[in-house]
Amino acid sequence: MIADLVQNTLDGLSAGATYALLALGFTLIFGVLRRANLSFGPAIMFGCYAATWTHVNFGAGLLLLALITVSGAVLAGAYVERLCFAPHRGGSAIAAMVASFALWMQFEELATLIMPRHLYAFPLLYEGDPLALGPFTLRIDALAMLGAALAACLALWWTLYRTRFGLAVRALIEQPAAAALAGINVPWVFVRVFALASAIGGVAGYLVVASHGQITPMLGMWATLKGLLAMMLGGLGSLPGAVIGGLALGLIEAHTQWYLGPQMRDLIAYLLLFVLLAARVPWMTTRSAS
Amino acid sequence: MDDYAIGVLTNIALFSFIALSAYLLLIAGEMSFGQQAFFGVGAYAGGILTTLYAWPLPLAALAAMALGAVAQFLVALPTLRLRGLHFAMATLAAAEMARILFELMHWRREIDGELAGPDGTQGFRGIRWIFEHGIEPLHYLGIVGVLLALVLALFLMIERSKLGATLRGVGLDPELAASVGIDVQRIKLGVAAAAGALAALGGVLYAHHNTYIEPRNFDIMLGVHSLAYALIGGLGTAFGPLLGVLLDIGTLESTRVFHGYRMIVFGGLVALVLVYRPRGLLDERTVQWLRQRFS
Repeated sequence: MIADLVQNTLDGLSAGATYALLALGFTLIFGVLRRANLSFGPAIMFGCYAATWTHVNFGAGLLLLALITVSGAVLAGAYVERLCFAPHRGGSAIAAMVASFALWMQFEELATLIMPRHLYAFPLLYEGDPLALGPFTLRIDALAMLGAALAACLALWWTLYRTRFGLAVRALIEQPAAAALAGINVPWVFVRVFALASAIGGVAGYLVVASHGQITPMLGMWATLKGLLAMMLGGLGSLPGAVIGGLALGLIEAHTQWYLGPQMRDLIAYLLLFVLLAARVPWMTTRSAS
Repeated sequence: MDDYAIGVLTNIALFSFIALSAYLLLIAGEMSFGQQAFFGVGAYAGGILTTLYAWPLPLAALAAMALGAVAQFLVALPTLRLRGLHFAMATLAAAEMARILFELMHWRREIDGELAGPDGTQGFRGIRWIFEHGIEPLHYLGIVGVLLALVLALFLMIERSKLGATLRGVGLDPELAASVGIDVQRIKLGVAAAAGALAALGGVLYAHHNTYIEPRNFDIMLGVHSLAYALIGGLGTAFGPLLGVLLDIGTLESTRVFHGYRMIVFGGLVALVLVYRPRGLLDERTVQWLRQRFS
C-alpha cells in the first residue's frame, strides 16, 4: 500500500520532470510573445524523427542522437517563428496560433512521408534490469530522465537569472513596453527565446522517446497537449509555475493511472484543469492572455 | 455526378456546419478549441436515437441539436468570464473529457438479431437510417445542402440586423458594449448555445452519412481545423468558413495533384495567407468593398 504510493510518486516525478520541460518551453514562448505556439510539440517531433531517421539509416550513438533531436527541434522552431510569429508581432494572436497549427499539419505529413511506418524503434536510454531497493524498483532510465530534466532546468535557470539575455527575457515577460523602451532589441530576443524554448523541448522529446524506446507521429500532439496542460495548471506565463505544473501533472497522472486506469487518468487531468479555470484560481488568471 | 464527387461535396457541406459554429464564436470574440465535442454529442445522440430507438432522423436531429445547445451552454456558463487562451483551454478540456466519455460509453442493444450501439473505443457501427429509408447519396447531399443554405440565410439575415452589429460589438470590445447597455453575458451564452446546436446538427448529419463513428473522430484535430477554416475563409461574412472548408477539402482533395503532400501544401498556404490577411480571405474590409461594388 505505502510501497505503491511511494513507487507511484517516484514514477510521477520522473514523468513530471519531462512535463515540466515541455511546460517551460511553452511558457517561455507564451511569456514573451503572448501567443500560444501549437507547433511546439510537432517541432519537437520533427527533431525526434530526424534522429530516428539517422538511427535507422546510419546508426548513431545516444549522444549524437540527442544532439540531432535538439538541433532538429531548434531548426523546426526557427521555421515556425519566421512563418507564424515574426509576421504577426503586435498583430492578431489568433492568426499566429492558427498559422502555427497549419505548420503542425506540415510536420505531421512530413514525418509520415520520410518514415511511413506507424511505429519505429528508438534506442533505449538504458537496457538493463531496474535497480531493486527493498520493496521499490528504480528504473535507471527514469532516474536518468529525472537527472537530465533537472540539469536542463538548472541550465535554464542560470540562463534566465544570471545572464544579460535572461534579464532581457524576464523584462519582456514582466513589462514588455518598458523593456522595449529600455533599449532591448525585441525581435532578436524573440528569435533567441524561440531557439531556447525549442532546445528545451528537444531535450524533453529525446528523453520521452528514448525511455519509451519507440516513436509514432502522435508525439507532436502529445507534447503540445501535455505542455499546454502543465503550463495552464502552473499559471500561464510563470516560469516557476511551469515546473510546479509539470511535476503536479506527472504526480496526478501516476496516481490516478494506478488506481483508476489510463482513461480516468486523462479524464481527471482535464477535469482538474476545467474546474481550476472555471474557479478562476488566482495563480491561473493573473496574467491576461490575448 | 459520380459517387466520389457526391462524397466530397457532402463532406464539404458537413464540415461547414462546425466551421460556422467556430465562426459564430469568433465573431462574438471567443476562440474555441472544443467545437468537436458538440459535433460529437450530435453524432452520438442522433445515431443512438435513430439506431437504438428507431426515431425518425428529423426528430433525432432536433433532439441532438437541443442536446448540443444545452451542452455548450453548460460549458459556457462557468467559463464565461475567461478570455483568450484561458477560454480556449477550458473548451479544450471540456472537449477532451467528452471524447474520453465517448470512449467509456458502452450502450448496446440487440437490433434485428445484432448488437448495435456505441462500443467504447471500438466505435459505433451501423447507423443505417438513410439506407433503410432508401435515401440515395445524391438525395442526402440535397438534404444537407438545403439545411446548410437555410443556416447561411439565417446568418446573413442576422448579420444585417441589429443583432449582428451587437454580436460584432461584443466581439470587438466587450467593455464598450457593456457600457452602452448590452448584456454581454446573455449575448455570449446565447451565442454558445447556438454554436453548440449548429455543431451538433453537423454531427448528426455526419454520423448518418458515414454510418460509423468513433471517439477519435472528435479529437482536437477536428476542433482546430474548424477554427482554421473559419479564419482562413475570413471573418467578414458567413461565406468565409465555407470558403475555408472548400479550399481544404474541395480543391486539394478532389484535384489529387498534391496526393501525399496535401497538408504540406495546404499548411504552408494557410500560414502565408495569414501573413498578408490575418483576418482571412473574406475579411471585413474585402466584404465591405464587395458590397459597395455590387450594390
